Amino acid sequence: MRIGARIALYLTWLALIVAVGWGVATHLKVSSDLRDFVPPAKNADQGLLLDEIGKGPGSRLLLLAISGASQTRLADLSRGLDAALAHDPDFSQVANGSADLATVAAGLLPYRYLLSPTLDTHSFDAVYLRAQLQRRIEDLSSPAASLLEPWLRSDPTLETLKLAQRWAPQHQPKLVDGVWFSDRGEALLVTETKAAGFDPGAQARAITSLQTHYAALPGAVQAKLVISGPGWFGVEASRNTRAEADRFATITTVGFILMLLLAYRSVVPVLVTALPLLSGAVVGFALLAVVFGHAHGITVAFGFTLLGVAQEYPLRVFSHRRVGVDSVTCVRELWPLLATAIVSVAIAYLAFFASGVAGLQQLAVFTIGGLVTAGICTRWLLPLIVPAARRDMAATPGLAGAWHFLAQLPRPRWLPWLVAAAGLAIIVFAPGRFWQNDLSALTPVPKAELQRDARLRAALGAPDVRYLLVMRAADAQAVLALSEKIAPAMQALVAKHALEGFELPSRYLPSAATQRARQAKLPDRATLEASLQQAMAGLPFRAGVFAPFVDDVEAARSLPPLTPEKFEQSPLGARLAAMLMEQGGDWVGLGTLSGVNAPAAFAQLSHATHGAVHLLDLKAATESLIVAYRQRILIALGIAALLLCAAVTLALRSPRRALHVLGPMTLATLLVLAVLRAAGIPLSLFHLVSLTLAAGLGLHYALFFERRTRDEREDLRTLHATLVCVASALLVFGVLALSSVPVLRAIGLTVALGVGFHFTLSVLMAPAAHLRDGH
Amino acid sequence: MTTLVKRMRRSFPALGLALLAGAAVAAPPTLAESLLAQLAKTPPVSTPFVQVSYRGMLDRPLVVSGTMKWLGADHMERDIEKPFVAVAKIGDGEVSVQRGHGEVHRMPLARAPQAGAMLAGFSALLGGDVKALQQDFSLAADGGDAHWVLTLTPRTDALKRQLASIVIDGRNAEPRCLTVNDANGDTSITLVGELAKAGLRSDAPLLSAVAARCRNSR
Repeated sequence: MRIGARIALYLTWLALIVAVGWGVATHLKVSSDLRDFVPPAKNADQGLLLDEIGKGPGSRLLLLAISGASQTRLADLSRGLDAALAHDPDFSQVANGSADLATVAAGLLPYRYLLSPTLDTHSFDAVYLRAQLQRRIEDLSSPAASLLEPWLRSDPTLETLKLAQRWAPQHQPKLVDGVWFSDRGEALLVTETKAAGFDPGAQARAITSLQTHYAALPGAVQAKLVISGPGWFGVEASRNTRAEADRFATITTVGFILMLLLAYRSVVPVLVTALPLLSGAVVGFALLAVVFGHAHGITVAFGFTLLGVAQEYPLRVFSHRRVGVDSVTCVRELWPLLATAIVSVAIAYLAFFASGVAGLQQLAVFTIGGLVTAGICTRWLLPLIVPAARRDMAATPGLAGAWHFLAQLPRPRWLPWLVAAAGLAIIVFAPGRFWQNDLSALTPVPKAELQRDARLRAALGAPDVRYLLVMRAADAQAVLALSEKIAPAMQALVAKHALEGFELPSRYLPSAATQRARQAKLPDRATLEASLQQAMAGLPFRAGVFAPFVDDVEAARSLPPLTPEKFEQSPLGARLAAMLMEQGGDWVGLGTLSGVNAPAAFAQLSHATHGAVHLLDLKAATESLIVAYRQRILIALGIAALLLCAAVTLALRSPRRALHVLGPMTLATLLVLAVLRAAGIPLSLFHLVSLTLAAGLGLHYALFFERRTRDEREDLRTLHATLVCVASALLVFGVLALSSVPVLRAIGLTVALGVGFHFTLSVLMAPAAHLRDGH
Repeated sequence: MTTLVKRMRRSFPALGLALLAGAAVAAPPTLAESLLAQLAKTPPVSTPFVQVSYRGMLDRPLVVSGTMKWLGADHMERDIEKPFVAVAKIGDGEVSVQRGHGEVHRMPLARAPQAGAMLAGFSALLGGDVKALQQDFSLAADGGDAHWVLTLTPRTDALKRQLASIVIDGRNAEPRCLTVNDANGDTSITLVGELAKAGLRSDAPLLSAVAARCRNSR
């Protein structure tokens, strides 16, 4: 092929990758919905968790603190931000203490006698009314008189204010200038996003929108806005992880290019080596888009990691080119072995497809599609672009010496068994946890931010993110009744300091039964008028001034009880909707808790309600999902390993040869596990995936070292290829192992260790005879 | 109301109190500014008070009496001693009211315009930041040493919805009465200093009778 044709083909290929990549980027929906990632729920709590995780009332809250300016300015900023967020479609509510709950309650005014608990303990008789009216006289002399006066004619017992107080946050920060302030003088706000708390994409949009609103306020520059809450942590974590990954990517790309130039003394590998991998990736994504339409972010990250194996394909081709022989011929000779590796791994990943977990199926489709595409590109496209070699890599200075050194290393037969035994012993007996079930431990929140979150949460009385009180019953009314029933027990728990505060659905809406009971206690018009007249005797109120009150009580006597549907249309509806929902035929009430000090104290409550009420530990439930996911992965990996053994044995047509390939792989994997265990590192899903990538790379090393060529120069080329592959993997993942972000460190350390062990063991465990044969 | 309260906050630190033990300065007959400026004193200062409220829903006035204190900065306290005991505190943007030894009820000053107006009236009396006050109110002064009247009329619509005017009567350097006229027609007159000490002659005085006492030397 002429140079012009090669360049044209190269550019066409590049353009195709860009085109498909663009198409995929616009069509594939990368979700952060945990349901796309974990196995189906096995119990009701997991189901609730999957439905509610991130959507739950606590996790969607963002806590805001504005500091660094005068109190007056801070209060202005708080009001400005409150007004802006109130009209932002990304946010379902915002509060800064300025809201007048009395006006909110006014919308539900006709129902006040059914909603307020006054009638549970009192009745509207002459004695009670007189005491109330005397209080009102005193109120009218207070500086707050003008606040109350407009209500008094229709609501002399101030039920509207009682409701406003009942619905106000239990622990409010102090009000300065009409808005919340912390003890440290920060203006405080709390806002609820519409997006789920653990949807980093949507949270990032909401947070950007919030920051834009803030920046547009006059004087915002002089003050400082601090955001806290699960959504913010998620966004920060992915931002930090990405920033660090990008930083390392720059370093490793430069290093990788220098290494390619050094190894091949040509710019061609630099220009084309990434093409098969990129092709595999875009095809993998395209398959995900076509088959599933969406993929979970973690699946994509895992898939991309596993696809790293494909980076070796073009490197093998470059190392094995011979002077005077065109690339097509060289690749054709190399292909059987490469194809063995690709097909074996692809077959192994079929186990993931059979797992039945959406996330793992996506992983399988992406990885198999990607690897096969990268292989095909390497076999049929790459050689058309790559010109014949100008130099034989076998002639690389020092290579022959290295081969000789490796061939002469002692290879005691007992060594693998000793290493295996020692490795197993470490894995089994090393102290410390084996598994890391807390995914968030891999992207930890800085301690200072956690402390600040706890401080703001306490100041605002915001609910705990970790615990929810779950109430289950057959219908919504039964849930509300249950909620009313347990309220005294919850108060008792607060008194015992088992928790700081709670909010139950019945706080907003009493059950229909309770409403009817209150209704039944409302006196008829004649009785009320008589009692009122008696109560007013001697007091300075004008006669007939409370006629609106008498009318309203009369009207309330015949009201149908307020239903959840109707309540949810009120300004406070969103709060109830977040606490009362249908789930799988049942109705579930969610109570938010704050400052849970003694989770065990809830066992008694759960027992007393025969399990209808229990404490849901979202952290534990999430971890149980992760455990379930890991079990599926482990099963899939086990089956994949068996499939791989079968495929390799079949391809090599000899169990003995297969043992030479699979032995080092197994032992190396064992050693990586042993090192991680000895270092006290609990294993996460990311470690497992990294181990799998390392094993995929190890398969290449072992396959190529096991190959009988009876050609010294071809063996040298194999060594050259393997050394380049090992060096590049060590470069990329070794740098990643230095990261401060635990998830990147986990991947980097595991793969780098794996590559080291796989290489060493595939050299040491290659059939010694034939290593020395050709020399 | 909010802006009013804010202005008040700003003006308070600059204020000295001249509530009864006022500096012996005669009010210039026409200039409200100089009248206010010359009433300055240093906190804390307290005075007895008698408040008579005339409200539409009541057929006779409410009378309470006690002690009013300006504690400096942006805090004031109003202790009702008769006919019941209640302590009201205004400061930090909120009003708190405690009846007897009962629960303390709090509400933002922004939602209690009357309390804000009272604070505004006092800030004027206490000799403060006339400019800040003028942003929310137009000031008018009338009379002479024997009886002067300072009238604060709201400028903003938000204030006008709540408040018609605040009128302060005084003699020499001594304020005597603070009258808050609500937008809905309700009126409350607070007698301070010597006038409060002297007390009322009736349990249910007519508005005109109280107003006359504010004006008269007797």
